[in-house]
Amino acid sequence: MVRVKSRYLLCEINVTDRSRLLLLDDRAVAAAVRASVARMHGDYGAALCSIRFSVKYLNAHTGIVFLRFPKKCYRLLWSALPFITCIENRGQKIPCFLNCLHVGGTIRTCQKFLIRYNTQQLHRMLPKCKNEEEKHEIQKAILNCTLTKRNKEAFEDEFGSDKEDDSDDDNDEEEEEEEE
Amino acid sequence: MKMSAAKVKMRGKKMRNQPSSVQYVESSTQNGGGGDEGPSSIHPSTKRPTNTNQRGGWVRGHQKDGGGYSREMPKYITAGAFARARAAEVNTMLKAVTKTTGSCHVFGALPKHMRRRAMSHNTKRLPCRLREVANRMREKSLQAGPKKKKEQAKSKSRKARRRHGNLLMEFNRRQRKNVWLETHIWHAKRFHMVKKWGYCLGNRPTYKCYRSCHRAMSSHCLLQDLSYYCCIELQGEENKLLASLSELTSKETGPTFAAALCLSGRRQGSVVVYRAGQYPAQPLGPVTFLWRPRSQDLTNRQLWIWAHPTIKQDLLLELQKVCQCCDAVVHPVVTPAEVFPSLQLEPKPEKNSDGKKITKTKRKLKFKDANGPPAKKVLGDGTRSPNIPVTWKSSSKGIVINDLTMEIVRYRLIGPQSCSVLAETMEAATVCNEINESKPSLWWPEQCRSKNKMNLHQQQTHVFNILKGIFSTGELPSGTVLGLTVDDPRLTLPTKKVKALPCVKHAQEVDEERRELILQGVPELCCQSNLWEQSVRNNVTDNKTSEQELNRMRNEVLVPGSRLSLTPPQGRVPILLVQQPGKQVGNEMSSWGAGWDLLLPKGWGMAFWVPLVYRGVRIGGLNMGVKHSQNKGAPHFPHDYPDCPSGVRFQEEQEAELLAKFKRSAKTRAEKEPKMRPPAKRTNYIKHGCLAPFGCPWQQLSEEWELISREGGEEGRRDCQSTAEADAVMEEMTSCGEIAETKPLSRFIVLRNRKSLRLLSGWCRPTTSKGQKSCRVGELPPLDSSAMTGFLTAHRMSLVWVRLSLLCKGKPELHAMVCVPTAEDLKLLKKKRGSCGPQEPLHRDYFKSRVRRRKKEPKKAAESSWCSDNTQGKESVFSSEPNSITTVDPKSSSSDIILGLWPDPLPSITSHCSRVTLGWVTQGDFSLSAGCGEALGFISVTALLKTLFNQPMEHRGVFLLRNPTSLHYRFAKINIEV
Repeated sequence: MVRVKSRYLLCEINVTDRSRLLLLDDRAVAAAVRASVARMHGDYGAALCSIRFSVKYLNAHTGIVFLRFPKKCYRLLWSALPFITCIENRGQKIPCFLNCLHVGGTIRTCQKFLIRYNTQQLHRMLPKCKNEEEKHEIQKAILNCTLTKRNKEAFEDEFGSDKEDDSDDDNDEEEEEEEE
Repeated sequence: MKMSAAKVKMRGKKMRNQPSSVQYVESSTQNGGGGDEGPSSIHPSTKRPTNTNQRGGWVRGHQKDGGGYSREMPKYITAGAFARARAAEVNTMLKAVTKTTGSCHVFGALPKHMRRRAMSHNTKRLPCRLREVANRMREKSLQAGPKKKKEQAKSKSRKARRRHGNLLMEFNRRQRKNVWLETHIWHAKRFHMVKKWGYCLGNRPTYKCYRSCHRAMSSHCLLQDLSYYCCIELQGEENKLLASLSELTSKETGPTFAAALCLSGRRQGSVVVYRAGQYPAQPLGPVTFLWRPRSQDLTNRQLWIWAHPTIKQDLLLELQKVCQCCDAVVHPVVTPAEVFPSLQLEPKPEKNSDGKKITKTKRKLKFKDANGPPAKKVLGDGTRSPNIPVTWKSSSKGIVINDLTMEIVRYRLIGPQSCSVLAETMEAATVCNEINESKPSLWWPEQCRSKNKMNLHQQQTHVFNILKGIFSTGELPSGTVLGLTVDDPRLTLPTKKVKALPCVKHAQEVDEERRELILQGVPELCCQSNLWEQSVRNNVTDNKTSEQELNRMRNEVLVPGSRLSLTPPQGRVPILLVQQPGKQVGNEMSSWGAGWDLLLPKGWGMAFWVPLVYRGVRIGGLNMGVKHSQNKGAPHFPHDYPDCPSGVRFQEEQEAELLAKFKRSAKTRAEKEPKMRPPAKRTNYIKHGCLAPFGCPWQQLSEEWELISREGGEEGRRDCQSTAEADAVMEEMTSCGEIAETKPLSRFIVLRNRKSLRLLSGWCRPTTSKGQKSCRVGELPPLDSSAMTGFLTAHRMSLVWVRLSLLCKGKPELHAMVCVPTAEDLKLLKKKRGSCGPQEPLHRDYFKSRVRRRKKEPKKAAESSWCSDNTQGKESVFSSEPNSITTVDPKSSSSDIILGLWPDPLPSITSHCSRVTLGWVTQGDFSLSAGCGEALGFISVTALLKTLFNQPMEHRGVFLLRNPTSLHYRFAKINIEV
């Protein structure tokens, strides 16, 4: 089989003020990347960027973003990312920089990496907790996303057993089922 | 860009597990409610979504209604929120990673290498952990399924089904509608079976054997099971029988039931039977008959009439009428239909007061109703209800009619070596002297006591031994009968298949005897057989040694594989051998395809079949029977008797079948038709000028020729210049094709008058097939106009059966047209002997446009032009004939028009093409025995005579043949053989 090949960059948006992170928006990120590429590589770069570039996923809470580039020219485009210093959204400038964590051939590998990365982060946070409450919260979060348990549930909730733990994507699931 | 609803749905399904971006979209209504922890956790004040529009929790892309950020951003972050955000992300990612996007089936979740075939049908193929879910899914889909499949009845296990009793029960059930012959199972394993005439018959073998079967027929031996032929027995005084039977036949068609040789019982005869007193109209079909030789102790004569199953009912009715046998006799003890002991124990239903035929009820059902005895192998006609009478008696004439259907097994051996095969398979019965008191019922030991009978047996044995030395079956007088008693042929079964070869001895005295046998036939005494006795037949059938018993005996033999020495006393079977004449007509290949018919009591079919097969014979099915008679130059029963009711039925069936094959729509494809012919690939018969490619409208043909001949008579053979008159004739032909003719035309008949046939045969003789001169030309009156008129007045509306052999290339096919060559054609033939023949100009299909535009009225203008261009070449032959093309009936509903076929009211058949049509071919093939294409068909007598009259002497009898799928005419020589 032949398919159009892409590279997926898993980047972390680092901001100084974390609360401003929530202002982010995938269109703003895309615009920032485009602008940067155009600045760095001129019209050629802008043209390359217009082909199959997109922001596949953005989590405004954690500042994780998936960028898709054509495989042919992803290095060139990637080279422009460090020059992003701020992202502008609806008139507000968010000073930030992009930190590339992972480059994957499929979005799935990026997702896998992100799972590993996030759990690692949580595990790192745990010993650094300042008080019991924090510690408890983090422990709970870690328990929520352990692999074995999730796997099992994953199948269960797919096929309609409504036995869902009180996790947050409860609501999400219900709605989706209604759509079917 | 707009996506269709289905596409959106598909996409939604595909993307439902994929994470969507998490961001603040809305402020006031807080739309991202589904967004788990997201904003809510950070901002506890707006804890749960108040949203009403239930969009997917995390919104992808940009919403139109996305407003500004009116709400103020959180001022601080906590570790807990941070961690929760991470955890939520991990969850969504996990979900995306672990679940596959595409299919919603359970096994979609399995990696590829764990998927197995037919998982969706059998959930047990899935790993345990998925099974429960899959089952649930399956139930859901079954419920949702629009049409529920009927739950199949749980059948018994194979072992139970194959248990002997159950198997027999099943077999009996399966032959309720179509009776099986005794060799059915043997055939079913090797043949394509067809259900025909109420029987299951082998049509053709599954292996390729066309040529080898032909070779067997012409040089060795071909075996056929003809047990489906029905035997009707008549008993009574000779005079009365003959008097009654004479109503059914006519002397004009040849020897009748009263032929002296046949009457003595030494020969088998064959006649065409007509409805009583109706000759020459309303024929029923051909039958063969066999008289029982006279003997001292019997005053009544016994006659067997063998008829095809399709004419049996009609024949029975006719016979009852002529013999005045209307009272059915119910056999109180044993109806010949069932002789097996289990039924005898049962009380016979004694009712059946009315001698009427009741519809055949299912026997097994009755069986069950009675008291459900274990299924027994049914011998004889198993489908017949015991209530149906098989015997009728006439009080006035003393004639008894017995229906012996399926009572006697009939095998046909075709080929010169049939004698050797028979001689090798069977041995004359050994005398059995010891009288076993425990089994007093056996017939053979009783017979052995009588000296007379032993003498007879010895004579018969002697004749049989002479037969072994005869080189070819054809040497014997046709129809010779020999009665015999033989040993059970299973005892001498060879361990391997051997090829029976003749052993011609050249001793002086044997030669003498052989010559006598060839010249005189079998002496009358030896034609007697015990097969005629019903009691003996029943005795033999009842006491047949079972296969199991025989195997046990074989097991007990000291040297394994050696033949059984001692014949058990019940192992003697009375049989009748009847010589079957081969090709009797024509000059070439005389007595080709001669053979023997072997008549056996029922129940012994397989006991003789397997030993015969072990002698290296080939087995033929129904289609070989057709080929046999085709090569023999004899008409085959339902095919070549278009004037008999069963022939008509056969033609209708054939036409429907061919038409279905032609159309071969999706409907017919379902029934195992592998090929589907698209309309563009079908032959357009209209363009080929073929009006009736699938059937032969004999009636119309003979009517048209009748009309033409009458025209010719009235107008005195003058040219038809006056178009007005021609138009009038045309009008007449179109308007009153069949209904309002000047004189009501009778139904067409097939000419079977021997004398007239001989006359015709002589007239078309000058060049016999392949140009040989005949020696008997001189005796006949010459063909002049007076003779012709005389002949024609005697035989109006008649068809004659002819054989056509092609002069050069070509293979005639079914329903090929027989046409008259024009003078130019004959000139061409004269110039170059091997010339291929003329071509038919391509016709135009005026129905095509109608088919295309069904609703439009057909164009009238087109028809007139088409009339004129077709009728060129034939005025030279039949000047009297007008440009008689019937105008196409415009009313004919365009809905039933099939592209390439003429819609139903056919135009004038005779003059449709550039050569005048005389008739059609009913069987045609490349004849392997003659080495050229040969066809059998019917042509109108009127047409034949007129054509012959107009033809020059040296080309008399040369006609043209054209296949329905071709435009090429081929020269063929016509032969009428008597």
